[in-house]
Amino acid sequence: MLTAVDKSLFVIEDSDEDFEILKIFIEDMDITNPIYRCETGDRALDMFYQEGDYKDVEPLPHPSVILLDLNLPGTDGREVLGLLKGDQRFRDIPIVVFSTSSDPADINLCYEKGANGYLVKPVATDELEKIVQSFAEFWLNINTPPQLT
Amino acid sequence: MSLVDRPTADPGIVNPELRHQHDEYPVHLSGLIQPHGVLIAVNPTDWTVTRVSQNITAQFGKSLENVLGKPLNHILPTEQITQLQAQLQSQADGVTHSQLSLNTASSVINLNCFIHQTQTEIVVELEPIAEMGTVQLMAERNRLHQAINRLQQIADLDQFLQTAVGEISRMTDFDHIMVYKFDAQQAGQVIAEVAQPGIATYLGQHFPAPDIPSLVRRLYQTGIYRFAPDLNAVSVPIIDLDRADGTPPLDLSRAILRNVDPCCVTYHQNMAVNAFLIIALIKDQELWGLISCHNTTPRSLSHSARSDCQLLGQFISAELANKVSQEELEHVIKLGNILSEFVASIAQAENFKQALLQPQNRLLDLVGAQGAAVCLDGEVTLVGETPPLNQVEALIEWSDSHIKTNLFHTHQLDQAYPAAAAYPAVASGLMLLKISQIRQYYILWFRPEVPQTITWAGNPTDHLSVNADGEISMCPRASFEAWQSNVKATALPWQQAELDNAIDLRNAIIGIVLNKADELAQINLDLERSNHELASFAYAASHDLKEPLRGIHNFSNLLLKRYSEVLDESGIKRLQTLVRLTQRMDMLIDSLLKLSRLGQTELTMEPTDLQAIVERVIEVLQASRSDATAQANIQIARALPTIDCDPILMGEVFTNLLSNALKYTKQAHPIIEIGYLTPEEQSEIAIPADVASTKKAVIFYIRDNGIGIRDRHHQNIFQLFKRLHERDAYGGGAGAGLTITKKIIERHQGKIWVNSVYGEGTEFCFMLT
Repeated sequence: MLTAVDKSLFVIEDSDEDFEILKIFIEDMDITNPIYRCETGDRALDMFYQEGDYKDVEPLPHPSVILLDLNLPGTDGREVLGLLKGDQRFRDIPIVVFSTSSDPADINLCYEKGANGYLVKPVATDELEKIVQSFAEFWLNINTPPQLT
Repeated sequence: MSLVDRPTADPGIVNPELRHQHDEYPVHLSGLIQPHGVLIAVNPTDWTVTRVSQNITAQFGKSLENVLGKPLNHILPTEQITQLQAQLQSQADGVTHSQLSLNTASSVINLNCFIHQTQTEIVVELEPIAEMGTVQLMAERNRLHQAINRLQQIADLDQFLQTAVGEISRMTDFDHIMVYKFDAQQAGQVIAEVAQPGIATYLGQHFPAPDIPSLVRRLYQTGIYRFAPDLNAVSVPIIDLDRADGTPPLDLSRAILRNVDPCCVTYHQNMAVNAFLIIALIKDQELWGLISCHNTTPRSLSHSARSDCQLLGQFISAELANKVSQEELEHVIKLGNILSEFVASIAQAENFKQALLQPQNRLLDLVGAQGAAVCLDGEVTLVGETPPLNQVEALIEWSDSHIKTNLFHTHQLDQAYPAAAAYPAVASGLMLLKISQIRQYYILWFRPEVPQTITWAGNPTDHLSVNADGEISMCPRASFEAWQSNVKATALPWQQAELDNAIDLRNAIIGIVLNKADELAQINLDLERSNHELASFAYAASHDLKEPLRGIHNFSNLLLKRYSEVLDESGIKRLQTLVRLTQRMDMLIDSLLKLSRLGQTELTMEPTDLQAIVERVIEVLQASRSDATAQANIQIARALPTIDCDPILMGEVFTNLLSNALKYTKQAHPIIEIGYLTPEEQSEIAIPADVASTKKAVIFYIRDNGIGIRDRHHQNIFQLFKRLHERDAYGGGAGAGLTITKKIIERHQGKIWVNSVYGEGTEFCFMLT
């Protein structure tokens, strides 16, 4: 069980370039919250469920927000979203989808599964910067995450 | 029942009660025999005489008192009785023949003796033999062998029977030999005949079923010949031992000497026949027909000749199964050929209905009909001789509730469907084939009543006169007239081969339809697969292609922003180019994605006010392209109508066409006109031939005074990523706008085309159907 909330950002993203750019834009904002990253959905699930490599590892505190790419190798982002939102223990963690897909079917599916937001990755750098920084500002600075009682 | 209240054997009898009486009149219980022999019945336990024909006195000089109730040896010698008993043992249920001689006071009489057993008694029939030398007997035997040899060589049924009647004519010397064949309704038709000169012929003639009552048919079916050497002879009564105690009459079913029923006598005498021999032809335990030997004068026939004829009859019966009528065979082959040609043409036809209906004769010949109605999805087309359309429709409606089988056929339609009494001349016969009940795919074939169909061979009334007493009795004339009244509203029955053809046609059509459905399913499967692949491609394009693209774009931008001091001018320029190229590629991918989604998503059709749509489009364009649009003069010729379409996609069509009109111009103040033309107003606009031939509908147009499009480009401007100008000229663009526009119009089952004069302006037109 996750016991603490550490105001961290948990990113599930397979693209190194995307993650690097994301980090750069967040660092530019002087945000110091810890950023964790998993490259695959399977690895992320192992962390949450303490399976596989994370069997004997201290459970991670709940992040303030999960930024989830949809197009992941192995277990797909949609499945990860469904599993976490379907599990009472993790349901309250906000999950924001971050995907290239602007397909209405994808967007609606994610909200149906309980996503707390959906961001489309644009190609234009300045647009991307705006999106990433707005996200970080809101979810890491402004928003009050779920509290442990 | 006495003879007086016998119903007259009027075959036109419509009263079923009378008809039944006629059919079942117990001719085998008449208590009478023909006078050319003597009948004796004995008790099977003690062989005492229980009945005897009255002529025993005249024939053998024995008084009735000396015979009745006495042992049989009062009439026949004991050793002959022993022989008869042995015969009876050996052949319990047939009629056996032997010869014996009897000494009377005056002479020795040679007799044919026939013996058989009834439920109650043993019946002995004695028939004096006319002297016949052995030479003649030998000749008869040889004749039979030769006849059989000759007949065995013939394969064709008609020829076989014709030869057979010739042989019987030689064997009997009777002057008129015929073969009757019974149809399914028990009506007879003469199908082979030999007649001496001067004798009326009946070849091809039909006789109605009641000419031979049902009970008589059953008697024929026992296979025993009927012989009457003299129809003028007075019948002899059989005298019972106990005349008073109501003994049931003797069953004469298998008595050779059984008298000829008066009705039958009249019938034959009306045809000028005074002697006959009738032999049953039995095929598959059914009475198939009769060989009828007639003679105008009384004529005796030796037992050996009669039994030779019977043997020949049995041989013919046995051979019937192996003979095929060449004519019937040819008909069946012809039917088969029509069917296979029919099926082949339906299988290849684009238009199933046309293939059924053209050529018309094929549909009729398939089952030998004179008229047909083809009903597809409830729409009826008539071919040949049929009832009027409204009557056919009523008949189909009736069949929907009354006929549940795939094939229904009748040759008396008004019996099943009384309304058909209104049109017997075209539709006494109906064959109804239901290919699909659900879709109402039916074929109906019609046949007229028989008199319209049959041509009569000869005139049966030429040599005849009606009975002087005016009684309607059985004579060929009455029979013919009766037959005619009998076949009122009756068509020729449908033959098995014709019914088979209809069923085969149904199976073929269903097979073809199923094949087509299979093909369609396969095509659908392929389509689904390719759609799926397209969707996968679009998905891959949107995700996998865009990811590295974003990487290139972002890292180029990073370099530009954070490393500008270490780059020289041309390095910076090149990085900027790199950024521009990624943006362009992004635009191309987006267009492609849009196009592929357009093909897959359902349209949301709803009544849409185009005026409002176009006004909004202009507003949006003015907001985003302020410079050019502000200077443009965009006019809506008259308020646009409300039509059924997908409002979002139609908005896109107008956006694309309007922004093109704004982009591709050199005018400082471009003039753009949006309008529409009703079908009546379309003479003033150029319409391509393929559009003009389709349904008339409103045409929308967007007209500009821009740079125009050369004729040679009028088609390829709609190709994906096709641009006519340099990449950045006229504001650039991916070259997908018109492709998407065309796709949207086509998704609305519409057409789009362009009219343009190069250098003067362009007019895009589209029509939604």
